[in-house]
Amino acid sequence: MERVVFPFTAVIGQDKIKNALLWNIINPKIGGVLISGEKGTAKSTLIRGVPALNEDIKIVELPLNITEDRLVGAIDLKTALMQGAKTLDPGILKEADGNILYVDEVNLLSDHIVNALLEVAASGVNKIEREGISGTHDSRFILIGSMNQEEGKLRTQFLDRFGLYVEVESEKDLMMRIEIMERRLNYESDPLAFVQQFAQMTNELKTRVEAAKKQLEKVEVTANAIRLAATLSSSANCAGHRGEIVLIETAKAIAAFDGRIMINIDDIRTAAEYALAHRAQPEPQYQQEEDWQEEELDDTPDDMEPPEDMEQPEEQEQEEQEQEEPPPQEEQEPETIEPPEFDETPPEDPPDSIDSEDPDEDDVQEAGELFVIPRWQDAHVNRQINRGTGRRNLVKSNNKQGRYVGYRMAGKERITDLAFDATVRAAAPYQSIRDKGLRAIAIESEDLRVKIREKRTGGCIIFVVDASASMGANKRMREVKASILSLLSVSYQKRDRVGLIAFRKDSAELLLGITRSVDLAQKKLADLPTGNKTPLAKGLDLAYEVVMGLKMKDPDAIPTIVLVSDGRASGKSSPTANPFDEALKSAQRIGNQNINTIILDTENDFIRFHLCEKLNEKLRGTLLTMDDLKAEGIVEAVSRFR
Amino acid sequence: METTEKRGYCFTAIVGQEDMKTALVLNVINPNLGGVLIRGEKGTAKSTAVRSLAELLPQRAEVAGCRFGCDPSDKAHLCNECKEIPEGTTPVSYGKMAVIDLPVSATEDRVVGTLDMEHAIKTGEKKFEAGILAKANRNILYVDEVNLLDDHVVDVLLDSAAMGVNTVEREGVSYSHPAHFILVGTMNPEEGDLRPQLIDRFALSVTVVGEREIEKRISVVENRLKFENSPEDFFEEFEPIQQELRDRITKAQEIFSQVTYSREVLERIARICIELEVNGHRADIVMLKTAMTLAAYNGRTEVTDEDVLEAAKLALPHRMRRKPFEEVQFDYATIASI
Repeated sequence: MERVVFPFTAVIGQDKIKNALLWNIINPKIGGVLISGEKGTAKSTLIRGVPALNEDIKIVELPLNITEDRLVGAIDLKTALMQGAKTLDPGILKEADGNILYVDEVNLLSDHIVNALLEVAASGVNKIEREGISGTHDSRFILIGSMNQEEGKLRTQFLDRFGLYVEVESEKDLMMRIEIMERRLNYESDPLAFVQQFAQMTNELKTRVEAAKKQLEKVEVTANAIRLAATLSSSANCAGHRGEIVLIETAKAIAAFDGRIMINIDDIRTAAEYALAHRAQPEPQYQQEEDWQEEELDDTPDDMEPPEDMEQPEEQEQEEQEQEEPPPQEEQEPETIEPPEFDETPPEDPPDSIDSEDPDEDDVQEAGELFVIPRWQDAHVNRQINRGTGRRNLVKSNNKQGRYVGYRMAGKERITDLAFDATVRAAAPYQSIRDKGLRAIAIESEDLRVKIREKRTGGCIIFVVDASASMGANKRMREVKASILSLLSVSYQKRDRVGLIAFRKDSAELLLGITRSVDLAQKKLADLPTGNKTPLAKGLDLAYEVVMGLKMKDPDAIPTIVLVSDGRASGKSSPTANPFDEALKSAQRIGNQNINTIILDTENDFIRFHLCEKLNEKLRGTLLTMDDLKAEGIVEAVSRFR
Repeated sequence: METTEKRGYCFTAIVGQEDMKTALVLNVINPNLGGVLIRGEKGTAKSTAVRSLAELLPQRAEVAGCRFGCDPSDKAHLCNECKEIPEGTTPVSYGKMAVIDLPVSATEDRVVGTLDMEHAIKTGEKKFEAGILAKANRNILYVDEVNLLDDHVVDVLLDSAAMGVNTVEREGVSYSHPAHFILVGTMNPEEGDLRPQLIDRFALSVTVVGEREIEKRISVVENRLKFENSPEDFFEEFEPIQQELRDRITKAQEIFSQVTYSREVLERIARICIELEVNGHRADIVMLKTAMTLAAYNGRTEVTDEDVLEAAKLALPHRMRRKPFEEVQFDYATIASI
């Protein structure tokens, strides 16, 4: 569908995006651009305005819900059905060849698709080996992505595929904002007339771009330019050598756009602002990246220093394919209450480096305040690399929920989620030789294909907290509160759910049903009372009920019970009962259901009873002591063993 | 998935909840406004209000036989088929704007559309089978409990809402069609928050609470009882007010194109947005559009300061930068003073 789009030249401000896009059209070797920024900053508008500036290039959009067959290509149904011949029905990678491949909200793309895309982006060739057809075709495209980093991040390997990186924000100038409003409204009231109004400007820019394209071949790259590019990339601590190559290509485009045939120092410096930010290490924390950029803008690039105490891994191209771990960063004072930016690893991937540190570091602040444990970030820097969409637990979904990303041959299982399109394609070539009877198409069991779906499920953590007198005595309660809040602030972005059960006096109470609501949780947590007896068994029983209820409602949910207790129980349900034995019985019941459990043993008296160890035998979960916690912090410990 | 066929409730019989009603009506008057998110506790007539909107929706021209209900006069947003029709020969029919439900359980293929399997098997040709987004073109797309919608469905919805186009590359089909819809969502915040990205796509947001005044609560119950006892009488009783509102909407639509605004109005809007550190530029644009629509709704062709303030109330609360656990204070007085 051809669209009328808001003209490129009518966008006010946002020069960085404009530059990056123009340079890419002039010199496709730059390798695309990733545009990151807040909502409503004309990211998509500008990209969609590009084709008006160059007739040879069109925009091929890669929608988020694409299935693999449409990306890579599949068997042509019609020739297969009608002639029994296997021919390729090319996917959008073919269409994208020589064009712009645009992924909006690129950080939300499913891993399955990203993998296929990366392979092609790296080689420039799409090799098809599927559905009985094999073939190759060129697929060289300018990869353009836009994203809002609030929604999750890209893995570094993917990030590196984008030649340039631009971060945008809204205009702060009053007059500019007014102009933006007016233009948008004019456009909406009569799009065609509006486009016409800017036709001349668009044409002028178009001519300039054409001239620059011709000029490009003539631009000379001097040895000095290469030296400067290499110096800049190495001082920015870039992995691999793509940094300097992109730098040079970008500088060439800048010179060509200016009508020059010589690259000057400023070209390279300007290019560095676009080409190095997302390659500099350590960078997955955007916070640091921004700092770096600012620094870079103020000072001359020569002043850029590699972050202290970083070793500089020298890597070859191929080695980038492997994800390396950035060394631990310096400790930062956790002063911001920004939600901790971390992404979760699947449980089977244990953290690699958790060395013990000054225990003071893990000290939490006042109850109810958010805290970010410094090492939390350290340990997670390398983890988020593995995580494409930036949410927890990207699971291959087994029931019929989730995004359909691809298909596989059906096994012996009962088929409930048939990939109908793939099945028909599989059967298509044999129609001429099969006995169809009265049917339109003969499908045999070997044709059957089932869907592969990918779904993001949030985790679900139920805290069972001892709120008896012993907990009030020290500041443990505050720690617990703070950690729940921290988990919640993460869940705000990561779609986790959290519940809270407290037990004290004679009963256990569900203070917070399983919820994603940050506001509600905050209110409930504000005053969690402590004191009185310790009906441990009742707390466990309630947790059991909550988890079982949850499993009924959402079979995909992976609930984890986190018991915060010293294991001591008091308060009898009957005169003869032993409170601890009752708790053991309740623990057994949870253990029998194979529910993930973690005990945070808060016993820190001089004489230890090791009650939690006994509980854990029944629960068959993970037992963490206060010492473990001092090294890691509650939040991290919980995330690690989930 | 079907349009609401049986008659719901009367929009005008809903007591109180003025902000919500205004926000909905503004969207009907100006379909380019960009939707509304209604937040509130259970039983505050959220769904009732949205569904009863159907009774107020105006007539409009469509390209006859077009499955997307293209607007014959809007050349910029025609679907592929309608573009093929030679100028001047477009068959036109008249239909009503509708409320299309998107159930929370909807699967992605039904939302965006998919390969028409029957056609594929019979003829070997690939044909696109339209989904809910196709039906939603030029209509109201209503998502109840929008915060519970599957993330991947939300992503798709966002994409289409932003572009007004639904692009499908799945299950062997490659297709795109106009999907210009008014996104209306209702949610109970206690069930969890919406992702910031989706929130921003709603032009307006209102928070509804149960009426606190005894008198009003009584009328709520009275109206409801009347409706349940005898829907016919109920509709008859409210028909005059309903018609009045319909006329007012039609009138507003007619004069909307003549609404003008002064330089001061623009400055004020920009200043408010800068002062409140609102994300992006969408807020500015939405505020201006809302103020213009409000003026038309009130029968005026000139945007006033009051319109701007009212627009701020509807367009800004969900766009203020907020940190987790911080209550966003939306201070009307501060805004008035900017």
